[in-house]
Amino acid sequence: MTHRDSHQWHVPDDQATRYAEGTLPDPDAWSLEKHVEDCARCASRVSAAVGGTAAGTVLAAVRAAVLESAPGAAVSGEAVLGRAAMTPAAGAAGPTEAVLGGRPVVSRFARLLWAAGPAVRGAWLPAVLGVAVAALALSYGAGFPGARALLLAIAPVVPVAGVTLSYGPHADPLHEVTAATPGGGLRLALTRTVAVLAVSLPLLTLTGLLLPASGAPAAAAWLLPGLALALASLALASFVGCRAAAGVTGGGWLCAVLAPVAVAPGGAATLRLAEQLSRCLDGVAAQSAWAAAAVLSATLLTARRPAYDRPLRP
Amino acid sequence: MSSIRVTGLRVRHRKTLALDSLDLELGTGVHGLLGPNGAGKTSLIRVLATVARPDAGRVELLGADTAGHRGLAGVRRRLGYLPQEFGYYPGFTVREFVAYVAWLKEMPAADVPAAVERAVARVGLADRIDAKVRTLSGGMVRRVGIAQAIVNDPAVLLLDEPTAGLDPEQRVEFRELLRALGASATVVVSTHLVEDVAAACTEVTLLDAGRVAYRGTPEALTRLGEASDGPGDHPIERGYTAALRAHRAPGAREAVR
Repeated sequence: MTHRDSHQWHVPDDQATRYAEGTLPDPDAWSLEKHVEDCARCASRVSAAVGGTAAGTVLAAVRAAVLESAPGAAVSGEAVLGRAAMTPAAGAAGPTEAVLGGRPVVSRFARLLWAAGPAVRGAWLPAVLGVAVAALALSYGAGFPGARALLLAIAPVVPVAGVTLSYGPHADPLHEVTAATPGGGLRLALTRTVAVLAVSLPLLTLTGLLLPASGAPAAAAWLLPGLALALASLALASFVGCRAAAGVTGGGWLCAVLAPVAVAPGGAATLRLAEQLSRCLDGVAAQSAWAAAAVLSATLLTARRPAYDRPLRP
Repeated sequence: MSSIRVTGLRVRHRKTLALDSLDLELGTGVHGLLGPNGAGKTSLIRVLATVARPDAGRVELLGADTAGHRGLAGVRRRLGYLPQEFGYYPGFTVREFVAYVAWLKEMPAADVPAAVERAVARVGLADRIDAKVRTLSGGMVRRVGIAQAIVNDPAVLLLDEPTAGLDPEQRVEFRELLRALGASATVVVSTHLVEDVAAACTEVTLLDAGRVAYRGTPEALTRLGEASDGPGDHPIERGYTAALRAHRAPGAREAVR
């Protein structure tokens, strides 16, 4: 930079003034504009000259109006300016000041996505899609009649697996840093659980709707069990860690649904599975029991909240 | 006032005693944490970072006891921590990554973009701020780790082997950053590199087998080295070995402290 400055042309004051007035001939104006791209000193002088004109006053008024109309933005803009003024070394803060006013809403959403990101990435998302596609392929491709029963048997385990694969020392590469932050405990675990549920609940329920019932419960019957098992996993994880908790809840569900099918005599396996699922999911009593289990798990989780202050057992 | 106050701290690590009835008070400044492998440096930093729970004893950070649930969030908002093994999300850009940690530290949303740019500029990565972390070299990833630790202008900053993977020029720049941070915050730096301590630290704490073997200024450790004939190429290295040997000598344990 400096070796060029010694012999480089700079904007004379009268040119800056005429540029601001709009009376500078075009070729001169172009070379001035090219020059101020690289020369901060001249840029600030030209900028000051423009600021002194009528256009500068209008610009300042527009900026003030924009900052005022955005809720909370005027405060944030000032806070950033104050911060930059306090720390003169913060050179990078300069160009973004004006943009910042409108960003908090966008960046809050973006941060939520980042927080959820590791949950919906990796091996889990392809697995969920795989379950949905496999169920559809079984039903329509292979003409398998029990596809919905099979899907309903597997679906409640999917959110549980998603939670386990996204939170905790074994699953999150950033966990050591996360564990030292105020938001890295239960708040992060819940954010990721919500992300997992937001993907799996609609996707698997819609898939279920596309499959013929053939005696299996309704496609939405697994929603409450899915929620209850996910919350139960989180509550249990505060005692034994994520992986063991998921093993207990997910494994427990699969045993409850599949074991009687394997043991019971007579009839086609798919029919027996549909019957067993009906016992577990159909009717007001069964669904109420699942709702109660979800509430109970949520209560236990609230009580066990401090356990999430430190890293869970691996 | 001391921002870190540790009394009777005992920490077990895989059935061995990593820290044994440790007492330590640290205030504003840069504190070098030295000691041989297995001396308990990482265990101490993890407990101070509120990640590991002590088996016995009391850890007060910024005037709050870290054992309870209540004061913990407030303390953690003012904490910065770079672990020895620093994991990251390779698909994030530097900006996204540091902003994500700022979100975890519950910084006000409006302050985050400027704070992120400032932290990244302070570690000298301003030109790579929108590069994906997986495209960075090992030393750059380490500097991203330092940026995420300082993004919230922490009052207590804990750095475990921050200079591992940095080249000599970057280390010189990093020491400068350490001195700047230590002017207003309590900075604890665990390191194997004695010359880092000599150049950047206001105080040295030497750990050995879970106990404090020596405490003093780098100058005092250098003088100890000049007076002794222990092994080492620089006076402060000789001071390091001399202090360790004095601590290990039978009967001398109480005398050094």
